[in-house]
Amino acid sequence: MDRVRTNRRVKTLVASAIPVTWVVVLLLVPYALLLIQSFWRLRNGTLTHELTTENYRRLFGTSLYPATILYSAGVALRVTVFSLLLAFPVAYVLAFKVRKHKTLLYMAVIIPLWVSYVVRAYAWKIILGQQGILNGLLMSMGIIRTPLTVLLYSTAAVVLALTHIYTPFTLMPIYAVLDAIPPALKEASQDLYANRWRTFIHVILPLSLPGVVAGCTFAFVLSMGDFLAPQLLGGNDSALMVSNLVWSLFGVAYNWPLGAAVSVVMLALTLVLLWVAGRVEARGSYGGEARASVTDYAAPV
Amino acid sequence: MTPIVELRGLTKRFGAFTALDGISLAVAAGEFLTVLGASGSGKTTTLRLIAGFDLATEGRILIEGADVAALPPFKRPVNTVFQQYALFPHMSVRDNVGYGLRMQRVPHREIGPRVTEALEMVQLGPFAERAPRQLSGGQQQRVALARAIVNRPRVLLLDEPLGALDLKLRRAMQLELKDLQSKLGITFIYVTHDQEEALTMSDRVALMRGGRIEQLGAPRDLYDRPRSRYVADFIGETNLLPAVANDRDPGMVTVAGPAGPIPVRVEVRADGVRAGIPLWLSVRPESLSVVAAAAPAASGDGAGNSLPATVREIVYAGSVVKLHLALADGTTIVALRSPSDPPFASGSSVQLRWPASQGVLVAD
Repeated sequence: MDRVRTNRRVKTLVASAIPVTWVVVLLLVPYALLLIQSFWRLRNGTLTHELTTENYRRLFGTSLYPATILYSAGVALRVTVFSLLLAFPVAYVLAFKVRKHKTLLYMAVIIPLWVSYVVRAYAWKIILGQQGILNGLLMSMGIIRTPLTVLLYSTAAVVLALTHIYTPFTLMPIYAVLDAIPPALKEASQDLYANRWRTFIHVILPLSLPGVVAGCTFAFVLSMGDFLAPQLLGGNDSALMVSNLVWSLFGVAYNWPLGAAVSVVMLALTLVLLWVAGRVEARGSYGGEARASVTDYAAPV
Repeated sequence: MTPIVELRGLTKRFGAFTALDGISLAVAAGEFLTVLGASGSGKTTTLRLIAGFDLATEGRILIEGADVAALPPFKRPVNTVFQQYALFPHMSVRDNVGYGLRMQRVPHREIGPRVTEALEMVQLGPFAERAPRQLSGGQQQRVALARAIVNRPRVLLLDEPLGALDLKLRRAMQLELKDLQSKLGITFIYVTHDQEEALTMSDRVALMRGGRIEQLGAPRDLYDRPRSRYVADFIGETNLLPAVANDRDPGMVTVAGPAGPIPVRVEVRADGVRAGIPLWLSVRPESLSVVAAAAPAASGDGAGNSLPATVREIVYAGSVVKLHLALADGTTIVALRSPSDPPFASGSSVQLRWPASQGVLVAD
């Protein structure tokens, strides 16, 4: 009997060894290294293994880093809002109004994800550039005489490209929750004297919140950490985002400890954001009944 | 007295499919009307048209004399209890029940007491603060009921409300619903595919078939005087004996016997019965008595019919014994006996007897 139990334990160990190893080697170790490195000291351009908090003091002491983080968050916030405004109506129509070819239309929305991200970001350069499609169109229509230079290399261009790139990520979870709402709930609401608008406000919107939160989290986290769009479309230094900064700290300035420190701060911010989003999502999907869930276990029916 | 709900020539087509084919129906105030039918017969479509979830292709829907066919559901003075309850998962039981009142902008101080009253009516007072998913199926069903009746509708539409419950709970809820209906005086239009449920609860039953009303009447009428073979077969259990009409005597038909046709007397004939079309004699299992083949002819019952048959199987079902028998032409017959009756052996030859008043001659 004991042998059976031991056998099972061995099997469990072997089976869990692979994923555990995977997580440790590929995730925990790199993060640990990053964390340790952020406390190392750079002396005359040489990495020493002396522990110091200097990197963090410099990070929060100079205005550059907090300002860039704030600027990135601002860009990410705008991308999130625009993505949501674009994705929600499309997801709503797909989930409730489209009967035929639903999957096909959904795929049409999702397909851009299969096109290389670099290609999509670069496409905006072609559209917005001085010799670009937009300028050409505006000139041929006689609206402008000389090509506009403000289109490309601006925060607006970065926000536009990122919105384009991350809207499908926002759409997917919103569509998933909307599509899962039983049609009978809409009918029940209308049966109980709520018109379409009030049905949307009181039933559809609250039930879609978990998906909205998930979609917004995707858009925000992904665009806040984006590197390529600001590089290609942001142009000047003022339109650079945190990831560009980290890249230049590691690559150009060769200041790995400071780069690591910025990365750790970003990681921490992202984790906090994900945690908050998770909480909001959980509240949404359980109807905010924290109090009731306690009694649920205390007095099962 | 004007009916509270009246349907006139109501038709619903989905593309080429006609779900509802010009039905007309008047429901009296306070009535418990059941719309009964197999799936695809149009019963749920009827309900959805009255509620306003689907719009009629043709015809009129009058509620208290006013044509509502063009109104959206939120402007119709009816409420619905849904098949899968359709409770709002993000709201507590209390908020679910109060939803209709809030949407009608009933004053706040009035909502609380009315919700409490409705919840107490369905015995869910202590569960007001729970989420729907924390309740059992039967409790969720009661919440759905409370959510509808709290609005004090003149007409309540119920779409197979007990369909998801187990048999015992369903039986208990049937009586409760009926009780609630007579207490509140609300008109119930109740959709079900369960004929037993329809017989138990309703004042009248509309049996649907292929988008039309096959027969409308009191449960007893449908059971005792089915208009067609379909009704006889759908309502309760019955035996259908292929019969041939007699040209000279309309009170007589012939049924297949071991040595040629045997004359049988019928007193009840449905509309549409005539010579030359396939006819059936419907006899309920409880109307048949089974006697030994050698027994003397029934005395005292001049109108009695008698038919030879062979016992095939004997099924003991507690309060009754079900005899499965075969007629000469192979038609299977079911008869009910009391467990205290003298038993027959399987394979024995017997006589089936029934009074002429208990057989109904029906066409297809």
